[in-house]
Amino acid sequence: MIKPPMHIAKEKEVEAIGFPMVPEAELLNQAKEKLKHMKESMRSLMVMLETCTKCGNCAQQCHSYLGTQDYNNFPAARAELMRRVYKRYFTLQGKLFGSFAGAEDFDAETLTKWLTYFYQCNECRRCAVFCPFGIDTAEVTIAARHILSELGIMPRFMQGIAVNMIKTGNNMGLPAPAIIDNAEFMEDEILEETGIVVKVPIDKPNSDVLYVPSSADFFTNIDTMIGAAKMFHMLGLNWTISSAILEAANFGLLFNLDVMEEHNKRIVNEAKKFGAKLVIQGECGHGWRAAKMYTEGASGPVPFEIKHVLEVAAENIDRLPHKKLSMRVTLHDPCNYGRGGNIIEQPRKILRTIVDDFVEMTPNREENFCCGGGSGLLMDEMKDIRMQLGKKKFEQVQALGKLDYFAIPCSICKAQLPTVMEHYGNNDLKMGGLMDLVGKSLIIS
Amino acid sequence: MMYFTGQILPYIAVAVFIAGVTYRVMTWLKAPVPFQLTLFPAPNTSAGRTAALAKELLFFSSLRRGDKTLWFWAWLMHISLAMIIAGHAVGIYFLTHQFTLIGMTEAASSKMSATLGIIAGIGFIAALAMLLYRRISIPEVRRLSDPADYFDIALLLAVLLTGMMMRAPGVHVDLVSIREYLGSLIMLSPKNMQLDSLFVIHFFLINVLMIYFPFSKLIHMAGFFVNRSMLLEAEPVYPTPAGVMRDARVLKKRSVK
Amino acid sequence: MSSVNVNGKDVELDEDGFLNDPADWNNDMAAYFATQEDVTELTEDHWKMINYLREYFQKFGVAPMVRKLCKDTGFPLKEVYELFPSGPAKGACKIAGLPKPTGCV
Repeated sequence: MIKPPMHIAKEKEVEAIGFPMVPEAELLNQAKEKLKHMKESMRSLMVMLETCTKCGNCAQQCHSYLGTQDYNNFPAARAELMRRVYKRYFTLQGKLFGSFAGAEDFDAETLTKWLTYFYQCNECRRCAVFCPFGIDTAEVTIAARHILSELGIMPRFMQGIAVNMIKTGNNMGLPAPAIIDNAEFMEDEILEETGIVVKVPIDKPNSDVLYVPSSADFFTNIDTMIGAAKMFHMLGLNWTISSAILEAANFGLLFNLDVMEEHNKRIVNEAKKFGAKLVIQGECGHGWRAAKMYTEGASGPVPFEIKHVLEVAAENIDRLPHKKLSMRVTLHDPCNYGRGGNIIEQPRKILRTIVDDFVEMTPNREENFCCGGGSGLLMDEMKDIRMQLGKKKFEQVQALGKLDYFAIPCSICKAQLPTVMEHYGNNDLKMGGLMDLVGKSLIIS
Repeated sequence: MMYFTGQILPYIAVAVFIAGVTYRVMTWLKAPVPFQLTLFPAPNTSAGRTAALAKELLFFSSLRRGDKTLWFWAWLMHISLAMIIAGHAVGIYFLTHQFTLIGMTEAASSKMSATLGIIAGIGFIAALAMLLYRRISIPEVRRLSDPADYFDIALLLAVLLTGMMMRAPGVHVDLVSIREYLGSLIMLSPKNMQLDSLFVIHFFLINVLMIYFPFSKLIHMAGFFVNRSMLLEAEPVYPTPAGVMRDARVLKKRSVK
Repeated sequence: MSSVNVNGKDVELDEDGFLNDPADWNNDMAAYFATQEDVTELTEDHWKMINYLREYFQKFGVAPMVRKLCKDTGFPLKEVYELFPSGPAKGACKIAGLPKPTGCV
């Protein structure tokens, strides 16, 4: 029996967030039920499980397989963990021909394998780019994790974040007084640096713009927040942050789709509450994909625009007073910006405007490799696997030689990549967000 | 036995093929697409989307991004298949004289028809053989493969080889009778005919293929379109335009709590 | 979850080795965590950080943002790593009995 490489949430812990553990005797039956319900509510799951012709093109394109060399981490094989039981219970050929047609019974080990391997997929969608049919293994992963969560099975890491989200409206568990205190600190920092009063408004009524940053921008990545605040100031936006949803990162997308919907509804409700005409998402990959692509399905029609802070920056950087930074910079394309969210040229436009030496890594854009932390794989206990997942990324950066800055416009990537670079021996590279550089380049008045 | 094979089975085969493929596609289309799955970069006009789909269909462009060798053999196999299917339709209907429509003599047309047919057949068989070799020799693909994957190849090879054998030197096949027989099937008054045994076997295998098709991975023919449509869906517009409800079934809850 | 006995008292730790219940913290726990964190001796500088963290945590219920921590205690980030090899979040917070910061960090 294989052992999943992460701490699993305990019974009391999953109950606390509304996912009671299904008793062991009922697990397999319930799993089958939920798989049936899942496939009937998700066209992608059916088509993608039924259309694979086992060509194996995806194997050499998946950083997870290339890094871990574990057969079950190659996209088609990972999907097989679900496809085999799916065929057995839901397709004629599986019911009639069993293992001849690649069908298999659900057994006790199946769910353990799901937990082990669907939490080694970064949901990066790179396999979909190279598959002749566009089969997106991330869809299978999302479905598998959703089913597992409904059985009360999830990593403790996800549960902890869900608890914080319920209590405070952000993944870090920052309560409103701490948020206000941090915002004031950042205002002081900007004042000290520039001599100008630039506000970081929290819960300002009658705001036109709601900014939804990653909560990490209020903890470790404050330069990203400061960069955004400076830009909004120079644009003269009437903006605010909501202390009820200081979180772009929608972790529900990464383990349970109902939790994803709740998060999305929070953003929508807060935007409506402030009367915002525009919601700007901060530097967060999954948050962007969820906000851009999942809002209508999660919360219905919305009366405001939804943009990414880098879209706003790309649109405006030319006309804002700025200085060119003299540095050699490369860009990491977060999966959920490129393949998942159509933010591909905007970061490049920004970089070409504000730095004098922007170099592309190879491959890039929609063919870029995931950082290895995607889909919330930031658990400490999975560090060894995470480092393997990040190996392709490290190689891409090393191939560029000396760099002054590595622009990483997504919070998970910002948490994962410094560890990856250090692990493989590069301790000298300065890393951070893209809005950080915008903040350094802008001339504030 | 001949009665069943010649006059009942073909109807069963076509019915199962059409009903089977329809059933599978309808099952897929009945399920909603709750959240947009556009794979970027994607075209943002209708014409662009059609062009992207056509490019994928004709040139297997996504596959070509990866393993170029795999791309070549898979593409060759499908192009040969397309030529074979088209060639059967015009070749049988026009009794190999289809190229008289572009000015060739009947004799020259027959020769051209035979030549193209043989080229397509060889292309298909060579591609299939190379793909089989690949399936056996690459460890990940070998481990991934089911017995059905090999069965599919065997079935296709059997169809191809029996077809090619009808073109072997010294083998003469009565195309006029075949055309008459197929015509009688289409007119729903099947005739009991004395046909070459090579044709009977070839035709029988094709019927088996048609019955097997909807319940195998060959359904990827339909899956390609349904999946690509999801990945090419236009990205959302905000604020949501009035009166737009992408998929009314989106309201269906997905969790069984 | 595990239990550890420190100076006669049984204390529960989570799977990452952090204190499960912040109320269980005392100087003995700090000393215990120090041994887990490769900190040979808790100097005055260590205690300055620990006290700052605990005060902030009592007031706000979370760990302080990293730059504020550095500014208020006067230790640049590099020095924080020298004092607490696992860093401010995983090292200092553990020794000070705060819960482990989670999310994209």
